[in-house]
Amino acid sequence: MAPALKDLFIRSQSGTPCSRVCSKKGIVIMMENAWIIPLFPLLSFLFLILFGKRLKEASAYIGILFTLASLVYSLLVLFDRFSAPTYKAEGVWLTIGDVQLTAGFEVNQLNALMLVIVSLVSFLVHTYSKGYMQGEDRFPVFYAYLGLFTFAMLGLVISPNLLQTYFFWELVGLGSFLLIGFYFYKEEAKAAAKKAFIMTRIGDVGLLIGMILLFWQAGSFEYDEIFAAVEAGAISGTMITLTAILIFVGAVGKSGQFPLHTWLPDAMEGPTPVSALIHAATMVAAGVYLVAALFPLFAASETALMTVAVIGAFTAIFAASIGLVQKDIKRVLAYSTVSQLGYMMLALGSAGYVAGVFHLMTHAFFKALLFLAAGSVIHAVHTQNIEHMGGLWKKLRVTGPLFLIGTLAISGVPLFSGFFSKDEILIAAWAHGNTVLFWLAVIAAFFTAFYMFRLFFLVFAGEARTDMKNVHESPSVMTLPMVVLGVLAVVAGYVNTPWFGTFLGDWLVEDNHALGHGHIEGPAWIMIVATAVSLLGIFLAWLMYGKRSLSRDWLTSRMPLSYSVLYNKYYIDEFYSMTVVTGAKFISSFLRFLEVFLVEGLVKSVTGIISALGRLGSKFHNGQIQTYGTVAFVGLAILVVIYAFTGGYLK
Amino acid sequence: MNLAYFLSILVFSPLLGVLVLSFLPRTQESLIKTVGFLATLPALVLSLIAYFQDRAGAGLEQLNEKVSWIQFGDSGQLGNLFSIDYELGLDGFSLIMIVLTAVLSTLAAIASIHIKKEWKGYFMLFLLLEVGMLGVFAAENLILFFIFFEITLIPTFFLIGKWGYYEKENAAYSFLIYNGLGSAVLLIVIMVLFARTGTANIDALMAAMNADNPQLVAPISENMKMGMLIALLIAFGVKLPIFPLHSWMVRVHVQAPPSIVMLHAGVLLKIGAFGLIRFGMGIFPEQFQSLAVWLAVLGVVNLLYGAFLAFVQTDFKMVLAYSSISHMGIVLIGLGALNEAGIQGAIFQVVSHGLIAALLFFLVGVFYERFQTSSIQNLGGLAKGMPITAGFLLAGAMASLGLPGMSGFVSEFMAFLGLFKEMPILAASGTIGIIMTAVYLLRAVLGITYGKAHRDFAGITDMKKFEFVPVLVLVGLIVLIGVYPSVLSEPLTSTLETIMLGIGG
Repeated sequence: MAPALKDLFIRSQSGTPCSRVCSKKGIVIMMENAWIIPLFPLLSFLFLILFGKRLKEASAYIGILFTLASLVYSLLVLFDRFSAPTYKAEGVWLTIGDVQLTAGFEVNQLNALMLVIVSLVSFLVHTYSKGYMQGEDRFPVFYAYLGLFTFAMLGLVISPNLLQTYFFWELVGLGSFLLIGFYFYKEEAKAAAKKAFIMTRIGDVGLLIGMILLFWQAGSFEYDEIFAAVEAGAISGTMITLTAILIFVGAVGKSGQFPLHTWLPDAMEGPTPVSALIHAATMVAAGVYLVAALFPLFAASETALMTVAVIGAFTAIFAASIGLVQKDIKRVLAYSTVSQLGYMMLALGSAGYVAGVFHLMTHAFFKALLFLAAGSVIHAVHTQNIEHMGGLWKKLRVTGPLFLIGTLAISGVPLFSGFFSKDEILIAAWAHGNTVLFWLAVIAAFFTAFYMFRLFFLVFAGEARTDMKNVHESPSVMTLPMVVLGVLAVVAGYVNTPWFGTFLGDWLVEDNHALGHGHIEGPAWIMIVATAVSLLGIFLAWLMYGKRSLSRDWLTSRMPLSYSVLYNKYYIDEFYSMTVVTGAKFISSFLRFLEVFLVEGLVKSVTGIISALGRLGSKFHNGQIQTYGTVAFVGLAILVVIYAFTGGYLK
Repeated sequence: MNLAYFLSILVFSPLLGVLVLSFLPRTQESLIKTVGFLATLPALVLSLIAYFQDRAGAGLEQLNEKVSWIQFGDSGQLGNLFSIDYELGLDGFSLIMIVLTAVLSTLAAIASIHIKKEWKGYFMLFLLLEVGMLGVFAAENLILFFIFFEITLIPTFFLIGKWGYYEKENAAYSFLIYNGLGSAVLLIVIMVLFARTGTANIDALMAAMNADNPQLVAPISENMKMGMLIALLIAFGVKLPIFPLHSWMVRVHVQAPPSIVMLHAGVLLKIGAFGLIRFGMGIFPEQFQSLAVWLAVLGVVNLLYGAFLAFVQTDFKMVLAYSSISHMGIVLIGLGALNEAGIQGAIFQVVSHGLIAALLFFLVGVFYERFQTSSIQNLGGLAKGMPITAGFLLAGAMASLGLPGMSGFVSEFMAFLGLFKEMPILAASGTIGIIMTAVYLLRAVLGITYGKAHRDFAGITDMKKFEFVPVLVLVGLIVLIGVYPSVLSEPLTSTLETIMLGIGG
């Protein structure tokens, strides 16, 4: 960055001023330069787009090294942030009249945590892909796209204002779109990419409108200024509710919440490492992150919070119910992701800021693990249909246990990370008085345990149901990242437990009373109920798919209708195609009709009038001096009349 | 540096190329093409010098030129009553338009390599067209503006009619009829203004029309002002184009050769927006304010109408034509908002769409050259055979649908930012256009590039060396504006201040 540009940067006054004092201790140095974190993957992207073709599979090393740099830097920044206050730096991006729009970066607790999550998962996925994508023609392009996505995602999480967030928000959408459509020659991939882009864009428009309305109310896109305006009561209650809900629409689109969820399962057309990175751990969590980042705005409106909670809880149980019957390993995980994101929304909507963010973190680890393990399975057996698998426990000696860890974590089995974070969510929902939503979440937890263990038993237990040759464990470049995630899926919960201390929670809400308490007390029976339903789900799954003492179709044969409704995902895609798509086509056809008849008719009449005038004029050109004289006289007469009436001038 | 004739040299420099071309034998294809290309360079270099001088704070006034040209009237009473001077000058807005014109002319000259016949006539007309476009933006008085405006029409007519596709004559005639009518209406307004105020100088007109006690030759009533503004709206509305005056423009987009469409969509349409801002808003600010709501409504109509029609087209050129209509709606939306954000957004959109449309039409030229079709269906799976072209096509589409980091986003964002302040409900209905833009562009572009390959790509070469130049320059500029919008907003500051002063904002 040129010195001239650096002069532009205005040091922000927000937070506790930390100028020379901290610099002397050498603490802020890392945070001051946090803007460099997203630039590493950007460089990787640019480099690979330009030279990837020559590097071939060596491109992987470029990508891995650059994301490693981001990861190391993010960790240093996180450690800095433990002891130093929020840091923010901005410069003018665009001037509109008197208004100056700024761009810059901010390191607060949430950002610092997200930086680490994103760069860690991205680094692991970069590494894993080296094995998974081996032999792929467009290997360098894949790594370039990964770099682009990581850049955008890291940029998103250090944005200090809504406009910049939106900027990167759309760019992560681009990264997701490109990677879903990576196998561009497949019609399904093409359709899925298009769908993902358009569905999320529908949400984005909500975000855009909310953001602009908020700007005209608060006079700024800056988070801190918006919160200040909210707190000062400068924005009316209706406006807060309206803008918060509009912004939430954006989060609904990105995080695959009902009713904009249908793109996310289709997005599984992308390569599996992409599903792990984008459609499990990072981008889809961006919606949750956005609500968390704007939490003081949401907290100011009970209606907005309620909307978030209801949509979240409904999505949690709705998607979990679809997950019960799917046959594609990645689709089960996709619906599980939708459902888990619903949990996070429920947490935030129940004023459980810490619970939402905590679950975001643990979910990032165990869901990325599950996807990578699923990728490892697919890599070994070359199918995604779980009906064709079975008996893989003996063949995949590393993947199997790791998948089990992920499954235990997501099912909320005690001592695994998901147990603690899900418990926090349930407590938050209960404590906020959302009793109905609480019970929905409990049922969803039962579903989750059931469908996850159904998946596990179908894939790993019993005997192989089809003839599978050459099944072998993935190379260590793929298993090592999974091991790292496996460890995290177990231990990540211990940063915030009711037993050993709520370190994460206390740290997250430090110096910011608007975010609520670091820990919400809840009755002890909640933990017992949560454990019970999860064990019950596992037990039922074991009876049906493990021990097989219960016939697999004892339920489906009794309720064929519900089964087919679930299997067809409540026919929502069909519904949209019948209403929205047909509607748009109808409007277009109608306008085309208008274009052909009305507008072209106008054209015809214009040309018609002109040529008629021409013909009329040429009629006077008949060579008869009398006609000429008449025309001249009439013309003169008209001019005289006009002159007489207007006194010489038309006014 | 002697600045005395800087602008004149800039505007008329392409004529040198015309002169050289007239001495060349008509069969020397590559020589003619080289000369045609080189002749666009002086204007490009000079306009860039002007831009960087301005950025360095040199002041654009020193470029003004004024030579007495025509005087008449009763000198006994009020001095020389009617005088028309040859006067050129620049402000921030016209400077940007001149740079845009010069850049796109050079790139279109490169794209003209695909022209198959009568290169000599083609390039002579091409360069004449450039003179007209540069002159339009540099003219400091209405009569000079009108002359340059007409100069653009004639070469365009022949360029479409002779070097276009199957229905080229039809397209050329409808171009001429519509624009001819627009010109006629414009001429009436200019003549009335000139007759009533005694001056055709734009700054003088702005002062005269908005002074409390104007020194007029003859009075102008409020109704008449309104009438003149509406006439201007029609004249420039044809050019922009505003629904329902757009059908000529669809024909031109489809039938004209891609190199000419680059200029047509990139610059010629923008004269409409330029005229609306410079004359409509500048000379009739009060009347403009009372029409602002209607402009915004028309803008939303344009935006949605173009977007929905683009959604059902089967030919990529048709998609782009309706997309242009849709994107010009954003200009109207910004102007209708009539605040800083809106107007700045409108001007950004003028530049941004110029670059994006030029990029997309250049790419149309690239694959039309290879496949002789622009039908979406027939091109399917292009990414397999021409990955680089497909990549740039996708980049162009992303820019067009307003992806952040590219120029389209900045302009769209500002226009909507402006409109949401004044008319939130209307603006909210306009945002459907943002979704539809993504829908129709992805449908078209993915239809062309993704999916199963519909044809055999053996023997098809991807982009060639010279073809990279326009694409890289355009993408570079689009990203530059998207990431660092100050390159545009800073030169515009003074223009915007003047406008806002006029409308009392």
